[in-house]
Amino acid sequence: MDIERLKNDSKLVLCRKYYYGGFAFLPFLWTINAFWFSRDAFYKPHFEEQHQIRQYVIRSGIGALVWLVIFISWTCVFQINRASWGELGDQLSFVIPRGIP
Amino acid sequence: MSSPRSSTSSNPPENGASLIPNERVPSRSNTNPALQERQQIPRELSRNPVDQDELEDEEELKYGAAHVIKLFVPVSLCMMVVVATISSVTYYTQKGIYLVYTPFHEDSPDTGTKVWNAVANAAILLGVIVVMTVFLIMLYKYRCYKIIHGWLIMSSLMLLFIFAYLYLGEVLRTYNIPLDYISLLFIMWNFGVVGMIAIHWKAPLHLQQAYLIFVAALMALVFIKYLPEWTTWVVLGVISIWDLVAVLSPRGPLRILVETAQSRNEPLFPALIYSSTVAYMAVMATDQSSTSNSTSNNETAANGPRSPTDGGFTPAWNQEAEQRTEARRHRVQAAAAEAPRAAPQPQPVTEEIDDDEEERGIKLGLGDFIFYSVLVGKASSYGDWNTTIACFVAILIGLCLTLLLLAIFRKALPALPISITFGLVFYFATSKLVAPFADSLTAQQVFI
Repeated sequence: MDIERLKNDSKLVLCRKYYYGGFAFLPFLWTINAFWFSRDAFYKPHFEEQHQIRQYVIRSGIGALVWLVIFISWTCVFQINRASWGELGDQLSFVIPRGIP
Repeated sequence: MSSPRSSTSSNPPENGASLIPNERVPSRSNTNPALQERQQIPRELSRNPVDQDELEDEEELKYGAAHVIKLFVPVSLCMMVVVATISSVTYYTQKGIYLVYTPFHEDSPDTGTKVWNAVANAAILLGVIVVMTVFLIMLYKYRCYKIIHGWLIMSSLMLLFIFAYLYLGEVLRTYNIPLDYISLLFIMWNFGVVGMIAIHWKAPLHLQQAYLIFVAALMALVFIKYLPEWTTWVVLGVISIWDLVAVLSPRGPLRILVETAQSRNEPLFPALIYSSTVAYMAVMATDQSSTSNSTSNNETAANGPRSPTDGGFTPAWNQEAEQRTEARRHRVQAAAAEAPRAAPQPQPVTEEIDDDEEERGIKLGLGDFIFYSVLVGKASSYGDWNTTIACFVAILIGLCLTLLLLAIFRKALPALPISITFGLVFYFATSKLVAPFADSLTAQQVFI
């Protein structure tokens, strides 16, 4: 949908819903929120709800970044230690890479 | 891997639904309601000479061309996803498990047996599709919107979680990338839930389009994997004929659907448009947003679920669209008022509404995406790039022709027949005729 056609207050409602939805382990939702509303939050001339939207956008962005860091570090830890964790590593693996024949 | 049960159980909805929205609603004229425009031509000609007419023609052409491009991009993307997957991930070309709808597995080496197997399979599949379509239309006709929504949510849920999960697994296995279950859970959860939100609720337009394209590609991959060899080709042919019948025949289900939606002055398939079944959204829907705007002008986001997706249009277009919607609403009301009179012979009314209809964007059903991709994907599964590209080009040409016809007839048209016919002709011509010919020429060192 095109948010340009929404009124400001409904933008705020939508942005808030996305923000709260992101707490359900959904950083992807936060990422979308941060990009989608960034124009409204930072570049539009001032309007009444802008401050709140900006807050939600910033928090969503930070949340998404935090999740990104967590995800990357977990992946690094896993990929480095998978072999040395032995059985646990295998049990955690969805795809175990084949060796090169 | 996937038991046949799981794959089949999701299929009925997709089958049924994917075919429904084959009709696209024409929208060529940016400037004027086209039919009107055409009726006005004599007058305008008498008033001011050719240049006005030419100007309009030119504008219409330009706008039409923009629409063609807008459809080309997603169709090509969908086909490319399928072709890339087919040519890299061997899982989707391995045979062994089939849909329950195709009980004959073409195991026999005898050509005759294979032929009747394929035809029988295709007939069964077509039967399922017809039943599903009719069922859906009955639901729509009797306003069981909840059931339709539930159905669509179920099928998109299945596609977004189960089939995407299988897909991810196979891709990772192919490229030998290790992944742990925790990340997998995290990725699938984010992907699936956001997909559901994007398809059924509100999300940025491009995200929604991306999800729809991906869903169509997944469905096409499922068809390619689980349909026996020759059945696929027969099904493609049969489906395009069914599409023709369903959209164009006077009592065709899809036609009934369009007319019902119009007589209710609803956006065509509100239930399906926002779900995995209908639509390439960019060129869709100024209409439903503006309809809901005009009917409930002062409501704000209350009409939210209805109003998404009018993207792809410039603000100017949107403004004009609003004016036109206004006009259209009057006309529809007028038509409704005339309805008693016209009831014995409903044709005039529908035509009038048809002409309203066409100012919307062009819609292409996800079913069309799926079967285009099935054809190209199937062609590429034999590993010959000449054939693949020939089919790709053929389908796009077919799409162009369909759009051209759309400009001429200005009513919902089936998108499959021309494209699929071209695709099939090109496939068999290229793989059986051109490729051997080119090969033997190359072998003889003859250059033409």
